[in-house]
Amino acid sequence: MSQPLDPMAAAHVSEVAVSVELQTPGMTINIGPQHPSTHGVLRLVAELDGERIVNVEPVIGYMHRGYEKLSEVRTYPQINALVNRIDWVSGFSNEIPFMVAVERLMEIEVPERAQYIRLILTELVRISNHLVFLSSYPLELGASTPLMHALREREHVLELIEGVTGGRFHPNFNRIGGVKPAAGGGSTQKKLAQDLPKGFLAETRAAMDRVFGICDDLDTLVMGNEIFHARTKGVAIVPPDLALEYGVSGPNLRGSGVAFDLRKHENYLPYDKFDFDVAVGENGDCFDRYYVRHEEVRQAARIVNQAIDDIPTGPLQAKVPRVIKVPKGETYVRAENPKGEMGYYVVSDGGRIPYRLKIRSASFSNLSILPWALKGLLVPDIIALLGSLDFVLGDVDR
Amino acid sequence: MPDVMPVAIEINFYVLLVLKILVITGVMLGGLLPVILGELKIGAHMQSRVGPYYAGGRWGWAQPMADGLKFFQKEDLIPTAADRHVYKIAPYLLMVSTLALFVIIPFSPDLIAVDLDLGIFFALAISSLSTLGVLMAGWSSGNKYSLIGGLRAAAQIIAYELPLVLAVIGVVIQAGTLSMVGIVEAQVEMGVPFLIGGQVVGFVVFFIASLAELNRTPFDLPLAESELVMGYLTEYSGFRFAIFFLAEYAGIVAVSAIASTLFLGGYGFWGLDSAVFGPFVLAAKVGILAFLMIWIRWSWPRLREDQLQTLAWKWLIPISLVNIMATSIFKVVF
Amino acid sequence: MRSGISVTTSPPDDSTPAVEASATASATASATAELAARMAELAGADSWSADFGNAKVRVDRARWVEAVTAVRDGAGLAFFSFLSAIDWSNEVAVGEPLDETVEERYEILVRLSSGKTNDSVTLSTDLPKDDARLPTISGVFGGANWHEREAAEMFGIEFEGHPNLNKLYLTDEFEGHPLRKSYPLLSREVKPWPGMVDVEDMPSTENPEADAGGGQQDDSPPPTADRAEGDES
Repeated sequence: MSQPLDPMAAAHVSEVAVSVELQTPGMTINIGPQHPSTHGVLRLVAELDGERIVNVEPVIGYMHRGYEKLSEVRTYPQINALVNRIDWVSGFSNEIPFMVAVERLMEIEVPERAQYIRLILTELVRISNHLVFLSSYPLELGASTPLMHALREREHVLELIEGVTGGRFHPNFNRIGGVKPAAGGGSTQKKLAQDLPKGFLAETRAAMDRVFGICDDLDTLVMGNEIFHARTKGVAIVPPDLALEYGVSGPNLRGSGVAFDLRKHENYLPYDKFDFDVAVGENGDCFDRYYVRHEEVRQAARIVNQAIDDIPTGPLQAKVPRVIKVPKGETYVRAENPKGEMGYYVVSDGGRIPYRLKIRSASFSNLSILPWALKGLLVPDIIALLGSLDFVLGDVDR
Repeated sequence: MPDVMPVAIEINFYVLLVLKILVITGVMLGGLLPVILGELKIGAHMQSRVGPYYAGGRWGWAQPMADGLKFFQKEDLIPTAADRHVYKIAPYLLMVSTLALFVIIPFSPDLIAVDLDLGIFFALAISSLSTLGVLMAGWSSGNKYSLIGGLRAAAQIIAYELPLVLAVIGVVIQAGTLSMVGIVEAQVEMGVPFLIGGQVVGFVVFFIASLAELNRTPFDLPLAESELVMGYLTEYSGFRFAIFFLAEYAGIVAVSAIASTLFLGGYGFWGLDSAVFGPFVLAAKVGILAFLMIWIRWSWPRLREDQLQTLAWKWLIPISLVNIMATSIFKVVF
Repeated sequence: MRSGISVTTSPPDDSTPAVEASATASATASATAELAARMAELAGADSWSADFGNAKVRVDRARWVEAVTAVRDGAGLAFFSFLSAIDWSNEVAVGEPLDETVEERYEILVRLSSGKTNDSVTLSTDLPKDDARLPTISGVFGGANWHEREAAEMFGIEFEGHPNLNKLYLTDEFEGHPLRKSYPLLSREVKPWPGMVDVEDMPSTENPEADAGGGQQDDSPPPTADRAEGDES
């Protein structure tokens, strides 16, 4: 914070100074809202000088669905079905911080088995999300092959999620106090044997093997490629103190060198029982952000392998009243979602519906860095930067 | 194969001309369709997909023809903001500059459309017309994205013309002639119909430069789909787009043929009679080079244009200049 | 491992609260309380609370920018999480009204956290509804720029000194401030709640605890209060 940040520090400045001041009026182009590379409906109004960007203004709000207002007319279980559509690529993990916040206000303790299942599904969703990123990012840079291979492996992961929850992207599997108990009426104690599908352990191990395989493939195909290095190394560097100032979180923050992972610091799920590393980049360029997510897939697979070996037995959901009334109070719970830090600030008045629900979404803050980070870059670098931030418009606009 | 040249004195010049045009067009199409199919099928299998599967049975051999028919029956759209005349001419200009390359490709010692003394010089000169075609397409579309794409393409093609030409000079020095047939005969005479006199460096430079001339990945920034939709081709649809499309693949075939003629020995092969097997040998070599181009396209991302220019000016040109110097010294001394 | 990239295996550091046993829940609670007290002192706050793990510090409006700066510089909480607002009203056009009467105001919340430990604190200040102005903190945290724009268009709060207080999500012609409690949810006015079903009571309703987990299908219509007579500007 002490020295002023130089916006041109990240620019590619030519070594040869132009001695004649040419009168070339700048051009303003619109990138989006319909565009193959903007991850949804994002509009960028870019002022260009030749191929260099002078100023960029993002225009968002095309996917604003009014979640916070909608939450004021829904009961807590109904909100659960809404929130997994905020970041639709990693649907399951959007529900977790909300559930934990409500459970904290109601002072419910979630049974261990449910916590483990939540953790396994969150990590599977993290793998799925990152595989989409790891393969669509090279596609935006021109290499179309990694996409096909990575999505093939991702299908196995999605099948696992579907096997447990019944849904690939929006499972609506969390319940206040745990996860969805097994089908059928009666006491949940009797349904233990039926809640995870048969063969789940073996299939998960096989799928994780494939995930490790595709990580190695991507290592060779993408990260070892000279042209990929040329396109991403040193491009769009985000300094760490700027990242903190703008609220950039998740792999983007770690790519800038800040070794902060909420899974190691917060206790919303039992991550402290498992052994995993946190990948940290060094320079804060696009390559580091790619590298961090690549490593995170491996670590997530490692966590899943450890977790499925000791899922405890027990109930899937704590005893909760039939009609959920949350006691008066306010709390904020944040979680390490695949895209970054997602948090819910719940203000409850003691009734069935919240008085105010503030959703802190990761991509909103990640995207807010765009006007600063894009000054002085070339047009193809917009795509490189946008891709490497890994945002989703649903998460930005809510 | 019939001996064409001695008979030409008796056949009417104009009849022969028409005959040659038809044959060249036939050869171009015949070479082009397998390359398109190869691109689709090989690319698909590299990506763990199947590729064309329905048109023409499991191999999808009718896919390129089906695509061609589809393009031809589309509505002819010209954007309101476009400059009509330039817009209409641009694809044909590109096609002409590519088609003209087939004129000097030798399929056998006697089977060549016109055996110019300046064979390769003619080819290099006429292929630079493509710059004009691309610029016209980009500018006349009346669209900012197309304009950017067209300018990028023009800058790229101009930058890579030089390494292309310089790489060829090494070959010419070794062969002692500009005529295409002469170059192939020089290689066959050396007994080693591959990489005439060790022009490995020249071959690599030529190959890279030709990828850039054809706007293929990793140099396909002008067409960068994820950034500018289709770059300078955004506003083209239907028949005109088909012409551009054909010109690109015809370019692949033509450039591969020229590269194999200059560096890989053309129609010559150890122990095979050139007059009989020439065309097939050439076809095989063209196939190998086309496969290489397809392979590279599906594997690598694309270079940004300043990196592309750096590659041309700071690397390829100096390397090819050194190659020329080394070749000359070698030729004089030995 | 690529050169220059490190992978840390550090265990969570000391300020992380431990997880499982409820015996340590009280340790968590006291850590939060201590954090809140410390922040309150730094910020010159009026009061603080640490309920439900939320370290909340209430600051006077006149000291807003200084308090935020003090917390950032003094405690190293340099991560800007979010800025938002709560509209405390007694008459609501959507949802249920509050049980007790509250003082009508806007409460601005800012959440700051640390990039090294899990310290995280909420700073809040109150604005009267007829004078909803607050100095901007986008000079302190660049990230506040977008968050303040959102709060401005959703609640109608004016942030003095903000470089460009244009609408962020809503179209330029939009009138009204949607997240205010006086702004109705138009789709509910037009037609009734689509999830309304005629549901027969489950057999075991007299003992709501017995059927734990089976009964979270909540088909009853959520309440819509009578539309407030006031306008929605």
